[in-house]
Amino acid sequence: MQRIIHMIRKEFRQIFRDKPMVVIIFIAPLIQLFVLSYAITTNVTHIKLTIADFDRSAVSRSIIRDFSHTERFDLIGYTSDIRQIGQEMRAWKTQFALVIPENFSKNLKRKLEPQIQAVVDGVDGNTAGVALGYAQEILSRYGASVMTNPGNSSRNSKRMHLVTMLDRMWYNLNLDSKEYMVPGIVVILLTIIPMMLSAMSLVKEKEIGTLEQLMVTPLRKHQLLIGKIIPFLILSYVEMAVVMNVAILFFHITMNGSFILLAFLSFLYLLTTIGLGIFISTFTNTQQQAMFVAWFFMVFMILMSGFFIPIDNMPQFLKALTYLNPMRYFMYIIRDIFEKGAGLHYLWKDAVPMTVFGLLIITMGVLKFRKRIG
Amino acid sequence: MTMNFKDSMIPTIARKEFLHIIHDPRTLMILFLMPVLQLIMFGYALRLEIQNVHIAVIDYSKSKDSRELIDQFKGSAFFHPFFFDGPVDKINDLFKARKARVALIIPQDFDKQLLRDTAVPLQFIIDASDANAATAIRNYCSRVVNDFNVSYNRKIPLPFDIRSSVLFNPDTKSTYFFVPGLVALLLIMISALLTSITITREKETGTMEQILVSPVRPFQIILGKVLPYIFLAFIIGIIILLIGIFLFSVPFEGSVWLLMLLSTLYIITALSLGLMISTIAKTQQIAMMIALITTLLPTIMLSGFIFPIASMPKVLQYISYIIPARFYLLIVRGIILKGSTFMELLQPTLFLAGMSFILLNVAVRKFSTNLEK
Amino acid sequence: MSLEIAVRTENLTRRFGDFTAVDRVSIEVQKGEIFGFLGANGAGKTTMIRMLCGLLTPSEGEGSVAGYDVYRETEKIKQNIGYMSQKFSLYEDLTIGENIEFYGGIYGLNPKEIRQKKQEIFEDLKLEPWAGSLTRDLPLGFKQRLALGSAMLHNPPILFLDEPTSGVDPAARRAFWDLIYQTAAHGTTIFVTTHFMDEAEYCNRISIMSMGRVIALDSPHNLKQRYNQPTIQKVFIDILKREEEKQQGSDAADQIN
Repeated sequence: MQRIIHMIRKEFRQIFRDKPMVVIIFIAPLIQLFVLSYAITTNVTHIKLTIADFDRSAVSRSIIRDFSHTERFDLIGYTSDIRQIGQEMRAWKTQFALVIPENFSKNLKRKLEPQIQAVVDGVDGNTAGVALGYAQEILSRYGASVMTNPGNSSRNSKRMHLVTMLDRMWYNLNLDSKEYMVPGIVVILLTIIPMMLSAMSLVKEKEIGTLEQLMVTPLRKHQLLIGKIIPFLILSYVEMAVVMNVAILFFHITMNGSFILLAFLSFLYLLTTIGLGIFISTFTNTQQQAMFVAWFFMVFMILMSGFFIPIDNMPQFLKALTYLNPMRYFMYIIRDIFEKGAGLHYLWKDAVPMTVFGLLIITMGVLKFRKRIG
Repeated sequence: MTMNFKDSMIPTIARKEFLHIIHDPRTLMILFLMPVLQLIMFGYALRLEIQNVHIAVIDYSKSKDSRELIDQFKGSAFFHPFFFDGPVDKINDLFKARKARVALIIPQDFDKQLLRDTAVPLQFIIDASDANAATAIRNYCSRVVNDFNVSYNRKIPLPFDIRSSVLFNPDTKSTYFFVPGLVALLLIMISALLTSITITREKETGTMEQILVSPVRPFQIILGKVLPYIFLAFIIGIIILLIGIFLFSVPFEGSVWLLMLLSTLYIITALSLGLMISTIAKTQQIAMMIALITTLLPTIMLSGFIFPIASMPKVLQYISYIIPARFYLLIVRGIILKGSTFMELLQPTLFLAGMSFILLNVAVRKFSTNLEK
Repeated sequence: MSLEIAVRTENLTRRFGDFTAVDRVSIEVQKGEIFGFLGANGAGKTTMIRMLCGLLTPSEGEGSVAGYDVYRETEKIKQNIGYMSQKFSLYEDLTIGENIEFYGGIYGLNPKEIRQKKQEIFEDLKLEPWAGSLTRDLPLGFKQRLALGSAMLHNPPILFLDEPTSGVDPAARRAFWDLIYQTAAHGTTIFVTTHFMDEAEYCNRISIMSMGRVIALDSPHNLKQRYNQPTIQKVFIDILKREEEKQQGSDAADQIN
């Protein structure tokens, strides 16, 4: 026991001696918090719009008004040359063009069903699809208003029976994407910090030869590893507390669930990430290698976790692969605890596989980590 | 000392650096494997728009109209409707167990209301824990409701026809979007991250001093060290493009030479960043962390790599102006997918050139004074 | 009897794949002896020491250190030995005091003992000017002696030193050997490898290794007499030459067969 305490004390001394590292460990998550919680929005707005109005009528002007009055489109200019649209798109000056042909309003009145053309830059397929959807919606609404306008035509003034939507948003009334992203950032944090730091600190001891020295002391393997694990556990919890406090106090994230449950399940998850760190240290020899391997793991864990790419949208074989990713489970757990206040009653389905992974990985790391060289 | 002798220093250092890279097959493998796997991931997995949404339907009406509405949901690609008998207050359980993301409640006299009233409100309860998804779900629901309205009030078609044409990427494939984007990401990753770590490693292990006592000028050291990485970056960039073109059939519309030229500009910017980081960082760990925070994170999140800049809050939009990848993405996507010409890309090119000029100057100056210390 | 013998091996062998690093080595080291292991780089010295310290499992043969078996009782061995390798094994980013505290704690010393040891080491090694400074700022010679001090915090009966003086200036080497003598005078057995031939003269007995085998083992005095050479340096060269001739002879014999 005394040996473990000495090990822990030494580890903390080393961590805090490296002042720039400490600053980074605590500043980086806050930057992430700021950037990720605001940047990740799949809500497309402010699409650059160019208009080619060959009709120049009250009708076309009112369509243009409908487009420019929403924050979905930013009207950046008019053109009278259709060829210019392609050019402007190649120069990234516009993303969407609406072409209202000559005699549009006249043909509309004559019930000739004139065509209106929407041209969209398809490079960003997502945005393109959304933009077309918006345009369709705006135009249909305009069309419906033309049809129902009593002053317009008597033949169409027949009463309509419409279903309207009464939507109620649960757990996140204001549709604030931060509520969803911030818990995810906590997961990222509880992955990067423990995995990187534990792998690096073990490999560093290997590099400078102190590991060999420790191996000939009476310090047992489990004491050595526990002495390594506990400081990173504590550090991870402190980090988590800092980030969650900032999130709750300054970003006004609501925490609906139990802190104790969160802390408990976090511990199970940390077994996985620290275990991975130990595991990585057993087959790398330099810090640089360890960094790259850890980083490699990280990138794929994040991509396959549902952090910003919804798992439901993945093709079947990738979706199946995500079940092998421990981060996937914790991502669901933490978001459900934060937002839905879910208890273990609902979360055990994720907690069990996560724990199994955690135990498996840490056991593998510990077994592979040898006190002997050969 | 003749000029020739001095110049031979650069290839010597470059060769040494190259050997370092070759002798670490694990890192090299990761360097090559990572982009390819990422390409496949992004190519296949990245569908940001929501799909396969399970919708729980509590149908108290059980009428012809309600069935028709449910059929509209069934017919759309986004929804998987299922009937839910339980009382309304059990919806919470459904959401918590993640069995549904939206619930639709159809009242008992739905069909009668629809005959009688001009507007019949229907209650949709949406799990908004993922705000982005919730917004999308609401939009899709409203589309389905719209379709229902059109078919119910059959007599009123749209008075005009909307014809849409999608340029450059008619099938809106996400690989088209991500292949060039990955080139931007990997170039900065290799250039900034690797150089900063390698130079810091030399400082850490003391071999930098050894090079310094030899008659080598700072710029020769810099050039010798970064040349192999420029080479590596180019190779990986080309591999990605080839995979993209042959495996994912991404078109290449523009000029290869223009792309090479402007990519060099971008690489210089990225390398300058790497150099600057190496002057600040004392250890490899710190170099890596700084590189991750200052190059990788912003390149993925703020450059338009995945998320459109225009939709971000103003502050982040301003920050994006100091991210080189923001401009390079316009260039690389423009040339590859749109066949943009130099003149059409003048604006991002000028931004990038200005940035690389300033960064390179600062970096070389800082690096030189740093060495003399 | 067993108390008098600190280290004993019989046909101790270690192979790495096809390569035999240590080949059937049998030695006995008396308690209180300074036992030197000489040999060129790659002769198998470090492998030998690592097996004795419990860092490597032998492939064959027997061995015991402080009466404990090198296969089964490595943890007991570790309580009875001190070890110092070419790398200094101190944490450069800890202060001198913190290093002593850490290793003291690992060896199971209580706080009072640690404090005492710290004071002793600071006085013995004249480290006061560096009190509170990081180990990385210490001159190399001091680092080495500090590493030795840290390896002996628990007063181990046996000390293994693997090329402890490589890379240090002659004055510092001299000071280091003074320290080794002092330690041996207190009854500690010292097992040291080196490739400095002049250092071999300080040992009670030396064994010369080549290609994994011990090819000579005696006191420096006896060896010089037997081979009729003025210094160990010359003895070493002489023995290696003979060894080479023998090797060629047997190679030739192999070819004839």
